[in-house]
Amino acid sequence: MFDYDLIVNLLVAMIRNATPIALAAVGAVICERSGIVNIAMEGIMIVGAFVAAIVAGATGNPWIGLLAAIFFGGFFSLLHAFATVSLHLDHVVSGAVINVLAMGITAYLMILIVGHPGTTESVPVSLGAYRWAIPGLSRIPILGRMFFDQTPIVYFSFILVAFFTWFLNRTKLGLHVRAAGEHPLALETIGVSVYKMRYFGVFVSGLVGGMAGAYLSIEGNVSFTEGMTGGRGFIAMAAMISGGWHPVGAFLAALFFGFADALQVRLQVFDTTNIPEELFIVLPYVLTVVAVAGLVRRSRPPKAVGTDFMIERTDD
Amino acid sequence: MKNVPRLLTILGVLLSVIGLVLWLGAAVDKGQPAYFWGLWLLVAAVGVHMVRVYLVSGRRELVDLIRRSARKMMVPLLGVGAAIVIGGILMLVTGYDPVRAYGALIYGGLVRNWHISVLNAAPLIFTALSVAFAFKAGLFNIGAEGQYYMGAMAATWLSLRLTLPGVVSIPLIFVFAGLFGVLWNIVPAYLKVRTGAHEVITTMMLAHTARYLSPIFIRANGGDPAFSTHPYVTDTIPETVWLPMFKDFLPRANYRVHTGILLAVVVALVIYYILYHTTIGFEIRAVGENKDAARAQGISVGKNIFRALLIAGFLAALAGFNQVNGLDHRLFENLQAGYGWNGISVALLAGGHPIGVVFTGLLWGTLDAGGQYMSRTTQTPSAIVEIVKGTILFLVVARYIYTAIGNWYRRRKQKKMIDSSIAAAEQVGA
Repeated sequence: MFDYDLIVNLLVAMIRNATPIALAAVGAVICERSGIVNIAMEGIMIVGAFVAAIVAGATGNPWIGLLAAIFFGGFFSLLHAFATVSLHLDHVVSGAVINVLAMGITAYLMILIVGHPGTTESVPVSLGAYRWAIPGLSRIPILGRMFFDQTPIVYFSFILVAFFTWFLNRTKLGLHVRAAGEHPLALETIGVSVYKMRYFGVFVSGLVGGMAGAYLSIEGNVSFTEGMTGGRGFIAMAAMISGGWHPVGAFLAALFFGFADALQVRLQVFDTTNIPEELFIVLPYVLTVVAVAGLVRRSRPPKAVGTDFMIERTDD
Repeated sequence: MKNVPRLLTILGVLLSVIGLVLWLGAAVDKGQPAYFWGLWLLVAAVGVHMVRVYLVSGRRELVDLIRRSARKMMVPLLGVGAAIVIGGILMLVTGYDPVRAYGALIYGGLVRNWHISVLNAAPLIFTALSVAFAFKAGLFNIGAEGQYYMGAMAATWLSLRLTLPGVVSIPLIFVFAGLFGVLWNIVPAYLKVRTGAHEVITTMMLAHTARYLSPIFIRANGGDPAFSTHPYVTDTIPETVWLPMFKDFLPRANYRVHTGILLAVVVALVIYYILYHTTIGFEIRAVGENKDAARAQGISVGKNIFRALLIAGFLAALAGFNQVNGLDHRLFENLQAGYGWNGISVALLAGGHPIGVVFTGLLWGTLDAGGQYMSRTTQTPSAIVEIVKGTILFLVVARYIYTAIGNWYRRRKQKKMIDSSIAAAEQVGA
């Protein structure tokens, strides 16, 4: 039963399932390092997935759909930034409200544009059609199939993990973003706007979250279904925490959840006993709880994450 | 003469109880007046309360009370008003008639289908109380949905097996269902206290787990996908464990409306009492306000976090009890209902206040029922209601927006004053 092909397929599926979680988790890392808790990731992903499917369907070009998803994800996330930074709203409350708004807006637009609730029509060309095997590298056994014979957004997720690691640790802007999350007052003292850094952090998470949404609807799938995110935004939060608020850690944790998801599907298929399939479906969720419980102690959140920062303005 | 205030208190309570029962229980069936009587009685109760305040504390106190309540109501009312305007503009832009749609929404939600509004509100009040209670301890019980499912399953399980008379078994089921919600929150509570694992993630994941466990439970308790028309539904529970119907004592009430809503109101009052008039409530609120200060006072933070999450689980599970023993009398696999998720909105809108939750729960129930009526009669998508709900929530929760506008306005006025005085000074100088 456990032959070579099966294991390779399992690992490939792991990477694919991990991609949206990894992207959302990396976005959330940037956001939380800037000091803003972002449980609105779920809502941002819904918006991204919806926009991607609609635009890709209308234009016939999935790349434009992807761009639109990134843009609207970022645009939508600005609402969270506005609420938490400018309106000083509690971050978790704002995130919950934005998730509600995302559901409402997509449900309404679904009726308006598609004409019925549920699922959109299939897009003519999905990004899954642009699978590209990197010559040479994809010949490596197992690893080649896993990492070098994939679809575009999967590659983007690898690149973004590396990019954001570099960005956070090696650039001045990254340093400022981190400072906004660790010690905002110090940052403000040296003349850098904490508000701007936090807006920036949330905006980046929105862009990446939109891309994660696009993966769900036009790369891993060919259409948008209401509720297709299925709590992945929250699993991404768990990945971020388990990964110690670091892009690479978050990516590895996302791989773990992707593995649980891939395994779950295969266990369902090969189920020869009478175990109800639902017990396999809950596996990733239960593992998330276990992972958060086991790893959270070793990881340290940014010091000022979730705290409000307010500047008293004396004149305009 | 000395007894007048006390008598007025009794009168006020009586009026509000009777008014509440009539208002919540009586469906409006072709202009049936009982509903309006109930409303008038509630208004009268408020009036009696004001008279009592006037007699006891004098005129100034009364004016002060009115001013304070008005100020408290201002933000929610402004938020609702602005959201309705925004929704209307949205409808206008997308080619629907907002006046007709809102007319249908209000008529459907408050008059024609008021009984559906009440039925919608009852579970929402329970889950919202759960979220609100956790809020007071500084916790976010985002997974009320899961505790709701556990409660519903526990209620169904015991209801199908218990053969005692209703007077005994209904309270038993009530407690049993609640305890399963408690059970479901033990893990998040323990992890929160022990390792600091964020309850948003753990309760959320357990909520998804509970949702997927429900089909297994339903199959084991009579749900047979091969036979029945609705594949996933358990056997019907015996009539002895059904919650009493309003029809039993109000002959003209709608036949579906059960007393779960009254139970919800009573539980809300109990929670209010616990939070604001007991030591437990005080400690929980102290922990929620400021952990360090609470610890300095000798209040155990861990113990109170544990306590608050468990009680929150109990409350959310009651929503399941309410749906099974009150409305459906069996358990459907209805993963779209989302009482737990919507309870979060209801609790946020009420600012976490247990009594406020009753009103916001009714508002949400009314919007849902009215939205359905609206989409049926005017072909306006009911999803617009979701947008209006989200906007209300945003505008009410983001209170600072009003402060910011006020600050901006004040600054502008000051600037104008300074400018004009400078101009005046220049004129004098010239």
